Amino acid sequence: MEAVIETRGLTKTYGSVRALDGLSLSIPRGGVYGVLGPNGAGKSTLFRILLGLIRPTEGEARMMGGAVGDVAAMRRTGSMIETPRFPPYLTARQVLEWLALGHGMKGSAEVGGWLERVGLGEAADRKVRGFSVGMMQRLGVAAALMSRPELVILDEPTSGMDPPGIQEMRALIRSLPAEGVTVILASHQLLEVQRVCDRVAILNKGQLVREGLVSELTAVGERLRLSVGQADKALAVLGAHGSAAGDAVLVDAPRSEGPALIRSLVEAGVDIHEARWVGTDLEAIFFSETGAVRQPEADQ
Amino acid sequence: MSLSLIWDAWRAEAFRLFRNRMLLFWSVLFVPIFGLILSTGGNLFMSANRDRLSQGAGDRPLPPEVAAALSEAPIKLGEALVKMAAEAGNPAVLLFVLIGAATLYAGDYRWETWRLISARNARANLLLGKVGVLKTLALLAMAAFLIAGVIETGLKAAIYDRGIEWVVSGAEAGRFLAFALLSLIGILQFTAVGLLTAVASRSLLATLFVPLVVAVGQFFALQVLRPLGVGPDDWAHLLVNPGAGFSALQALITGGTAAQMLEDGLVLKGVVSIALWTLGPIAAALALFQRQDLSKE
Repeated sequence: MEAVIETRGLTKTYGSVRALDGLSLSIPRGGVYGVLGPNGAGKSTLFRILLGLIRPTEGEARMMGGAVGDVAAMRRTGSMIETPRFPPYLTARQVLEWLALGHGMKGSAEVGGWLERVGLGEAADRKVRGFSVGMMQRLGVAAALMSRPELVILDEPTSGMDPPGIQEMRALIRSLPAEGVTVILASHQLLEVQRVCDRVAILNKGQLVREGLVSELTAVGERLRLSVGQADKALAVLGAHGSAAGDAVLVDAPRSEGPALIRSLVEAGVDIHEARWVGTDLEAIFFSETGAVRQPEADQ
Repeated sequence: MSLSLIWDAWRAEAFRLFRNRMLLFWSVLFVPIFGLILSTGGNLFMSANRDRLSQGAGDRPLPPEVAAALSEAPIKLGEALVKMAAEAGNPAVLLFVLIGAATLYAGDYRWETWRLISARNARANLLLGKVGVLKTLALLAMAAFLIAGVIETGLKAAIYDRGIEWVVSGAEAGRFLAFALLSLIGILQFTAVGLLTAVASRSLLATLFVPLVVAVGQFFALQVLRPLGVGPDDWAHLLVNPGAGFSALQALITGGTAAQMLEDGLVLKGVVSIALWTLGPIAAALALFQRQDLSKE
């Protein structure tokens, strides 16, 4: 599979702190790729190296087939690193027109369309000095996408956004792979990542600790959760496969055996009100891999 | 480094510059407008007091500026334009163009916008694009200064009821172009120190003040060199103070006695000094900028 980003032994040190510690990573073309990690894991450092903002101490990185800093490769890439800032005397439309000129774009006819797409159509001619953090984020995403890049790197794109904004941004990001855009996304919102990303890498202390398809990672430890009318009868039918969980029954079995098990329960006269597969969520994997302490939910 | 990429950087910078109205007012318009108001006020005052000024002098000759103003001879526009071109890089213009240079060179650190623009172009191109736009800003400031000068000449003619001679000789046209070029180089040289300061300090205020401090330092360095036996035509004198180089070149362009009084080799030394003080800071800024961490503005 063709890689849009490849790093080999990438290391970045700040004094005695190793922000990246021999990171080797290959990010395939297509889909949405999530980069997760606690604060200080090295996510932003990785992005900054890829975009040529800082230089690695050791190792190498390639992006879109070119070395880091290669202008041709950079021009096929869009990016938004943390909360973007803009010259305060420009309007949102002027910001995009300014960046379009700097990016060598032939015209800026699509600027209005991109402002509409990120939900800033009505604020297009307002100066950005009055923008909220969420509006800055939206404008930053439009700036990253307007040159129709093949690769987009978004660092915390929903930071500072309200729930409807997050939902809109999620839909926008999910729509990009269909347009031929590979998205690389860093976020602390693990549920968002699970919903949006096809593949994730988990970083901790500058090292890669886990990488893979979200569907495969969360499928580990997958169980069938059944809400049944007669739990005792169901447990008797399921034998060693089943275990009680309050009013429900959990079934440890591969997905392929699910239909047969449900059929056997129905044939045994058990009423099934709900059946759904529950897996390990990304949050659980994140806490397990990074060693971070998971706080109990407030309502538990 | 490629010309099309430098062109992209120039276009983007110029787009931003022309939308920063405050910067354009202070860097381009303030000095000509203020100068025009001041000189017109002075001319109106002298015209109103023409008789008293003439009588008050008694046997003593009038100061040359007053005598010239009160003269009834037609104003020679060609000569006036040459004089204006020579003064287009005067300290007031330099100071106010420096405000624009500080915004242009340090603005991306202040607004944290380097990470937006540096991800799509090579760093050297971006900095050279800025230098190109500064040149545009300097040309605009000089053009505004010249336009204000022409308006001032017209007003002066009207106030003193004098005619204007529109004849411009070929020699005057040549001197006008040479002085205009020298003034432009003067602005670029002065602001090149600002570019290096902006990259090194990432501070708008430092970019504004360090070139002024350097200019004061150059002046005092000459005071230190003089007792050491360093004369005005020595290499050390010229290398420490590019202003002496500009003076030599102005004398050369003026021609006549001023040019004849120039020591042998002084012009060459002046050109070397100006080139070093212009290209040196730009080269140093480029070298420093290539290695700079742009993630934390």
